[in-house]
Amino acid sequence: MRNEIELEAIIEDYLKGKLTADEQQAFEQLRANDPIVDHRVVAHKVFLESMQQYADILLLKEQMDAVHKTIDVDSLSDDLKPHPSKIVRMWRNNKSAIAVAASFLVLAMVMLYSIQSQTKKDGSFEALSREVNKISRSQNDLIRNIKSNNTPKSSATPAKFGGSGFAISSNGYILTNYHVIKGADSLYVQNNKGASFKVKAAYTDPVNDIAVLKISDLSFENLGSLPYSIKMTTAGIGEAVYTLGYPKDDVVLGDGYVSSKTGINGDTLAYQVAIPVNPGNSGGPLIDNNGNIVGVINGKQDKVDGAAFAVKSKYIMEALNAIPQDSLNRRVAFGKKSSLKGLKRDKQVAKIQDYVFMIKVYN
Amino acid sequence: MSIKLSSSVPTDREVVLGILNNSEEALNKLYVAYFPMVLQFILNNNGDDDDAKDVYQEAIIVLYNKIKSGSFELNSKLKTYIYAVSRRIWLKKLTQHSKKTNNITDFEDVLVVDDDVEQHEQKDMQFDKMKVALEGLGEPCKTIIEDFYIHSLSMQDICEKFGYTNTDNAKTQKYKCLQRLKKIFFQS
Repeated sequence: MRNEIELEAIIEDYLKGKLTADEQQAFEQLRANDPIVDHRVVAHKVFLESMQQYADILLLKEQMDAVHKTIDVDSLSDDLKPHPSKIVRMWRNNKSAIAVAASFLVLAMVMLYSIQSQTKKDGSFEALSREVNKISRSQNDLIRNIKSNNTPKSSATPAKFGGSGFAISSNGYILTNYHVIKGADSLYVQNNKGASFKVKAAYTDPVNDIAVLKISDLSFENLGSLPYSIKMTTAGIGEAVYTLGYPKDDVVLGDGYVSSKTGINGDTLAYQVAIPVNPGNSGGPLIDNNGNIVGVINGKQDKVDGAAFAVKSKYIMEALNAIPQDSLNRRVAFGKKSSLKGLKRDKQVAKIQDYVFMIKVYN
Repeated sequence: MSIKLSSSVPTDREVVLGILNNSEEALNKLYVAYFPMVLQFILNNNGDDDDAKDVYQEAIIVLYNKIKSGSFELNSKLKTYIYAVSRRIWLKKLTQHSKKTNNITDFEDVLVVDDDVEQHEQKDMQFDKMKVALEGLGEPCKTIIEDFYIHSLSMQDICEKFGYTNTDNAKTQKYKCLQRLKKIFFQS
């Protein structure tokens, strides 16, 4: 027993390298000679190594446990545990993927937007140039109309309408567009009852597209006092307006509103009016709900819906002032209260239509 | 500067050198730095915080042993390595308890660390074997052996602690305990 304990102690010291050189040599001698001792040395070596590993890991665990206690696991768990909401969970799990997807989306949208705005720019450019063309075209349209209306003049039925006009005095002064009567050899006006009267051009203003005609026919009777007046101030956007004109043989009412204070390409002479008009409406009066004339229809923009144009009433007054005042008998009032004010639309039209004429042009 | 460093996540180099030099501080910092990551993984994959603690500590032991054995090369981030090891260990545990392991929710890139985890499992078995053997030893043998081999107490200290009249008695007692322990350890 005693020897066994001594032997065990020596083996352990040997394995731990605690023996002196002499002792070690002596022990190795013993180990070489005695297989039982050798076996015990090997076994103890394995055991010691296992014990060393065990010790290492145990100490490591102890240390980690100590650190673990310093961590607030509960609050961390609350933060990190699967969120009850599926969406939040998905967000947490796929943060990076979602971020990539989102940035891709944003990029795509920015690209789309820039492409779109680029093409839009091109588009507006085209539109602009189209509009430029259109000015002349819309003007041409009306002229062509006049011309086409005039070409059959050489045929059997010479009477063709060219536009509309309205009385500005009771003794037969009619206001219309210059482009309606431009290049005409002879002019006639026809009222809504079908009676025609010969007229002469009394005043033309090509810049403002205004012409004043004077009925020279002897059969013409005085019109009586005019129901409407001319508006001195400019009309505001959104103001309800209507027009009477002769796009066909009977008088036609068109209803709409002032949509812009400028005409085509920002033309300050004219309004833009959202109102259905057709060739033949040119020269027709543009009247607000109080029976005041705010302008004269003179054209429209083709390929654009509801964009018609009207010369502002201001230029009507300029035309009127250009005519010798004594020749105007009971001329249209400026800025006065119209006798139509407060009347319903149909009553207004019934009164006005006698003063709106079809202009017939021959050349 | 040093204060700032100590409060934040330690650099990988810092940790490896620290462990090689038996620095407690380096290990503590490492432990605190990456525990939330593993906790999050376990909590989101059918585990609780105790599971997270066990798995994380095992993963740290794997890393520790690998660094100590000198076979550790920094070709990935420590964070990634710890995550991969924890993940592997947890998947194994899930399969052992025949819970479903498909549809695992991941939070980091996954490295292949099967070899390291397998090596660790063998060592872990040795650990458990020794643990069982020590448990089977009973008192006072267990404490004497632990004091001597683990806490590196001298025979003199043990003699005083257990009230033996002289060190020879203590040595005899320790010898008897050791023989029994060896018997249990090698036979199991």
